[in-house]
Amino acid sequence: MEPLNLSLTRRSFLAGAAAAGVALVVPLRLPAWARQGEASGFSQAFIRIDTSGQVTFLLPTSEMGQGTHTGQAQILADELGADWSSIVVGMPNQPTSDYRIPFIGQMRSVGSFGIRFWHDPLRLAAAQAREMLTQAAAERLDVAPAALHAENGFIVHSESGRRIPFGELVEDASSLPVPEEPTLRPDDQRTLSGSRVPRLDTPEKVTGKAVYAVDVEREGMLYGAVRLAPVYSAEVESIDESSVSGMPGVVAVVRVPRGAVVVADSWWQAKQAADALDITFTPTAADTLSTDEIDGMFREALERSDVPVSTLRGDAEATLSNDGQVVEAEYSVPLLTHMSMEPINCTAESTEERTELWIGTQGQDIVRMTLENALQVQAEQFFINTTYLGGGFGRKTHGEIALQAALASRAVEGRPVKVLWAREDDVRQGQYRQTMRCRFRAVLDEAGNITGMRIRVAGPQMGREYGIDPEQRAQATGNLANFDPFSLGGLSDMHYVIPNFVVEHAVVDLPIPLCPWRSIAHSFNGFFFESFMDECAVAAGRDPLEFRRSHSEGQERMLAVLDRVAEMSRWNEPAPERIARGLAVVESYGSYVAQVVEARVGDEGIDVQRVHAAIDCGRAINPGQVEAQIEGSVIDALGAALRQKVTIREGRAEQSNFHDYPLLRIGEAPSVSVGIVEIGSPLGGVGEPGVPPLAPALANALFAATQQRIRHLPLADHVQV
Amino acid sequence: MTAFTLNGREVEVTAEPATPLLWVIREQLKLTGTKYGCGIAQCGACTLHVDDEPVRACVFPLSAAEGRSVTTIEGLSEDGSHPVQQAWVELDVPQCGYCQSGQIMSAAALLARNPSPSDTEIDEAMAGNLCRCGTYVRIRAAIHRAAEA
Repeated sequence: MEPLNLSLTRRSFLAGAAAAGVALVVPLRLPAWARQGEASGFSQAFIRIDTSGQVTFLLPTSEMGQGTHTGQAQILADELGADWSSIVVGMPNQPTSDYRIPFIGQMRSVGSFGIRFWHDPLRLAAAQAREMLTQAAAERLDVAPAALHAENGFIVHSESGRRIPFGELVEDASSLPVPEEPTLRPDDQRTLSGSRVPRLDTPEKVTGKAVYAVDVEREGMLYGAVRLAPVYSAEVESIDESSVSGMPGVVAVVRVPRGAVVVADSWWQAKQAADALDITFTPTAADTLSTDEIDGMFREALERSDVPVSTLRGDAEATLSNDGQVVEAEYSVPLLTHMSMEPINCTAESTEERTELWIGTQGQDIVRMTLENALQVQAEQFFINTTYLGGGFGRKTHGEIALQAALASRAVEGRPVKVLWAREDDVRQGQYRQTMRCRFRAVLDEAGNITGMRIRVAGPQMGREYGIDPEQRAQATGNLANFDPFSLGGLSDMHYVIPNFVVEHAVVDLPIPLCPWRSIAHSFNGFFFESFMDECAVAAGRDPLEFRRSHSEGQERMLAVLDRVAEMSRWNEPAPERIARGLAVVESYGSYVAQVVEARVGDEGIDVQRVHAAIDCGRAINPGQVEAQIEGSVIDALGAALRQKVTIREGRAEQSNFHDYPLLRIGEAPSVSVGIVEIGSPLGGVGEPGVPPLAPALANALFAATQQRIRHLPLADHVQV
Repeated sequence: MTAFTLNGREVEVTAEPATPLLWVIREQLKLTGTKYGCGIAQCGACTLHVDDEPVRACVFPLSAAEGRSVTTIEGLSEDGSHPVQQAWVELDVPQCGYCQSGQIMSAAALLARNPSPSDTEIDEAMAGNLCRCGTYVRIRAAIHRAAEA
């Protein structure tokens, strides 16, 4: 069982690396801040250097386009002094405790953690290995370790120029003790991390050779297409297998939770049969649910008298005061779906004894637990091969597809079955970004400063579906009660200086399954809060930048990104002719991002021409990839803000494919300029923080052009776009 | 039995004539660089060339391929050396990469008929290729780069 190798070299290399043999193996050690509760041994998380000089490391971050594997390799190679081409990145094929992020308790690729969490353990282990290699070389050359340095896969004696390749030192080094506190390289000696190193995965992604889950090939493989209940809470009432048994290629009809998988010799045959299958579903209480009804529930919830205060700063009464200028507004966002270009799929070989999966997943432990709960698959019987993901955006954390594939495989005596959802299944089968509604009230003093702000959110509490207890989480985060970060992130922890501040959450449970969507709560709270800040600035008659700056006293990172984006966009000069500008700034996942949208607004609609973005994510390990993530986030968020929504009618999603859930197309893509602010901040995430500021900056630009304040997304529901 | 040329090689396949070429190429002929994304010619992930014209393989029936010359990403060049692929590497265009085979095939077809396209011409030719990661800025730049090569 070799782990699936994703980068740089061939699988056989890792098979060799995993085999017994002389090698220097240094386990990863968690940084102190991450050691919570039980200690993690990290016995399988390691870097390994073999006698050929090959450096292998296995980390649990899935590569879904965010470039993490390249960034992690940079951190490691830099600290070690390795030859860049000797690095092999792999992923473990059993989600053992070694790979669980402690505060999540699971192996999962979420929360923009790939670099910021693994940076310190990787660097520490690399420094330990370097010192062991150096010590071995010092003994061989009979010189002091201080006279040596590691460079391009060699230990070099600086004075004489003598050099020994890592591979030749591995045997001696492996018998040395692992130094507890190695000396880390100073930043000015870290030449790879901080550089625009090309991505490791680009060559195979431009030749069609990169293997996504949907591309996996197994001997004797069959294909499965699904027919699932259109209303999420429905179950199968009846299936008439004979309705498809004579169709070409059909091998089996397999009942799965909420529907059926039709297994056939080809996917196309399976799909034809799945569409023709005579299947009925049980009636449910959600069969009449509609988007209008959900909106009504949210509006009612905003009026409830029994909603506890989640977050309080200062004096709650002051937020209700009429002593000053009062600004009030209500906002909402729709359900969104993820639309990863690679639809949901999984290949399984499963029997009672053993289950092996090939899947592009962000949630290896969720997949494992799904099979454990449904089929009693034990950890030691479970093997998972994480392929490249054709997009994730939060959606690929669920396990239902793995269960469908495992059940299908078991129905055909353990033969491999690749179950692939059609795009229509992908759009209609739930797991949506929450719809939410939010009401603001702000009190401004005579100088136009906010003295109090009251926020009430109405909507679901998604965190509970992910095991977050809102009361426990409130205690752990300095909030009062009922605090779900998946609902209130970006409101409760906003960084403006507002002396009296209240956040409440009127919870409305929905019979629709929800799922994190790139930047989770910040994706809507960023829109709510930064639009409302703009309204307050307008009410105070103040410039949006000056207004934000004046409410950011002591918030160095806020000020740094605001000032950079102002400089990039020449904010303090008049806007170019016929161009309207909007500004927003949001902190999420440990990074601060400010954006200025420049749009031409006319009779033909909104033409976003340019977006300036300034980010403080701490040291940018790969500036080119930071830029790529911000460029992509801007375009992603722009498509969502302009046109995207999932609406519900008679309990089911009305949209089905790209024609009615449109992504931005190339002709609408603005130019994006990215400024990276480096002021010594701790490492922050990069995959998600570029999303939240875009929608409010766009709506604020629209207001600047038209004096029309759009408070409900998508914009296309209200204006020509 | 349907016979056609695939990446310069004669092939014969047996499948229902209405089967979209995409599935024949992926499952029977084992070339998986061409991707499924929508099944209704909306996303362009399945773009390949039929007689040098870009075609959405997800709605192109196998029967229509009879006697014609089909090129997939695997046949665009032997070693990734096509100018479009080179430009894609130089500008590190892909993120998740899933749509990029289709993007590259559309871009190669554009440059074959218009060696020096303007931004507008690029936008028109590439309008049928969606990228969920939002790599459009780099795609546009890479097409210009390839045009210079």
